[in-house]
Amino acid sequence: MFAHIFLYRFKCLIRDRQLVFWTLVFPILLGTFFYMAFFNLNNDETFHPIDAAVVNNHAYQHDAQFKFVIEHISKGKKRLFNLKVASTQKEADSWLKTNKVKGYFTNGETLRLTVQESGLEQSIMKRFADQYRTDSSAIKSIAKENPKALQNGLLSDLGKQQSYVKEISGGSAKPNNVLNYFYSLIAMACLYGSFWGMKEVTDIQADVSARAARVNIAPVHKLKAFIAGSMAALLILFSEILVLLAYLHFGLSIDFGPRTGYVVLTALLGSMLGVSFGAFISALVKKGEGLKVAILLVISMVGSFLSGMMFLNMKYIIAQYVPLLSWVNPVNLLTDAFYALYYYDSLHRYTLNMTMMVFFILLFCGGTYLIVRRRKYASL
Amino acid sequence: MIIHVKNLVKRYGDLVALDHLSLDIKEGEIFGLLGPNGSGKSTAINCILSLLNYDKGDVEIFGKKMTPDAYDLKRDIGIVMQNVAVFDELTVYENIDYFCGLYVRDRAERKRLVEEAVAFVELDQFRKFYPKKLSGGLLRRLNIACGIAHKPKLIILDEPTVAVDPQSRNKILEGIERLNAQGATIVYTSHYMEEVEQICSRIVIMDKGRIIASGTQEELKAMITLGEKITVEAFSIEEEQLHQLRELTGIVSVDHMDNRLVIKSDKGNNNLETVLEFLKSHQIGFGRIYSEMPTLNDVFLEITGKQLRD
Repeated sequence: MFAHIFLYRFKCLIRDRQLVFWTLVFPILLGTFFYMAFFNLNNDETFHPIDAAVVNNHAYQHDAQFKFVIEHISKGKKRLFNLKVASTQKEADSWLKTNKVKGYFTNGETLRLTVQESGLEQSIMKRFADQYRTDSSAIKSIAKENPKALQNGLLSDLGKQQSYVKEISGGSAKPNNVLNYFYSLIAMACLYGSFWGMKEVTDIQADVSARAARVNIAPVHKLKAFIAGSMAALLILFSEILVLLAYLHFGLSIDFGPRTGYVVLTALLGSMLGVSFGAFISALVKKGEGLKVAILLVISMVGSFLSGMMFLNMKYIIAQYVPLLSWVNPVNLLTDAFYALYYYDSLHRYTLNMTMMVFFILLFCGGTYLIVRRRKYASL
Repeated sequence: MIIHVKNLVKRYGDLVALDHLSLDIKEGEIFGLLGPNGSGKSTAINCILSLLNYDKGDVEIFGKKMTPDAYDLKRDIGIVMQNVAVFDELTVYENIDYFCGLYVRDRAERKRLVEEAVAFVELDQFRKFYPKKLSGGLLRRLNIACGIAHKPKLIILDEPTVAVDPQSRNKILEGIERLNAQGATIVYTSHYMEEVEQICSRIVIMDKGRIIASGTQEELKAMITLGEKITVEAFSIEEEQLHQLRELTGIVSVDHMDNRLVIKSDKGNNNLETVLEFLKSHQIGFGRIYSEMPTLNDVFLEITGKQLRD
């Protein structure tokens, strides 16, 4: 009997094209759009050499030190400038006006920078000019007052740059801002699985549908039928999430870290969370199917937003200012579980997320059981 | 008794949906539950099937108390709902197989029963169709097949012909008679008196949650004072002639509206010949003329003062 109901519920659910679209095709499409939008996000953060010019005037020709420095930093793959040498200031001005260069240097008594507008490139050029002026002045001063110091390696020390801030992740993984978007997308897909749970309750509550009334009249225990149907829903949703994970990982090269077993376990728990959540809301809300769908959609979308699917920093804002909300948002728990698996070597944070998810699954299942167990109805 | 219902009371707040309803349905009969919409027929069925809570009363099926856990009783009951209760995602065959499988575990047995049900409702050529592709009549037949495939001893049909074309309705009614001939006891609820008159061996008429009359068709019609009703297409008749008609022996009422002359007779009086002679002797031109015996609607009208379909 269990197998019979399971098989037919499986057929019923898998043939529901609308549900399959929203729980599988839609997340895949959204993931693809995310990929297209974010693919170059990290690449955009890499530095591109700045188009700059220097006026080939008398001072420049006779300042070997400056000539050496600027030519040195304009060579190689990691060069700072794509340097052009203008024969006259007029030529440099025309390049600036036609946007062929972002600015140009004029050597004289002091190094001058001419730019047309302000921006990141111009700021870098200004920083270079300021640094050169400071260092040059310092060297000239030391050479005049204490020439011996120059022989003791001071010159090479002056050229050194030391950063005292280092970006590290909580584990061995490389920091990657984009991943959270995909993790919240998977979480959203799991929550969309609530529609499967909703369908199961609709087809078992005699006061909701005539089909359910017919099942209630049959010699089969209502909860047995409900569990068989829910297992079919869970199997479908879990398979869909695995397909989505495979697509993201193998198709879009989204990294989930090396702990594949835990990733699959998270997907399973996420699927259970989705189905049980949908069943609970459907059992709780006695109004029409439209209202139930609206409630599930709103909760899924708001949960996704708060977990950073539309705006990454939202996740951190919520964690900082309303931490309780991040612990009661099922989408965030899932997102954070994937996040913790990827970033942290320790499983502490991951375990906390999974424990909360198990708590919610038990809460939703228990609530659904208390509502659905009724065998007779006050009205149909 | 197949069904024994005693003093069933069901309230929805202040509204009394079933008011001390008592029924006894015998094995092998086609039992009709007739009443207008909202009279309590479906509520009675749902209480009998233990789907609805009720405030008071006893329900026994096959001599045992009916409860939601009475699986041994449920195994022998088939229900055809008022609303079509099938899955849109399953084909005709799969729908019947699914519902039959809730009653019958043995695969081979189930296959045989499903095939028989498909043949019974004449849906063989539609077995791979999805419900959305079926017409209203075919859908109703599928609904019936899902309820009867497991060969129950008791079949309850709750308004199974609502919104069905006449041809499909006749097929459904013929099918119900065949099921009864095969040994099933039928409980048939409807607000169509013609259907109940056509197939039911015993009838209960309900109104406002109460039984207002019960018996065979003949017994019910015998309860009222009205006899034969004669309708004549008469285009021109004077008021004086109508008055003379009313004075004839055994005639209860005479009305002339929309070129139709309706003459109702007292119980036991047949006045067709008298009326014809009157029309001829007074040289009143007339077209078609026909006579009919009282219907269940007349019974309902006389008892409640309103039409059955009000």
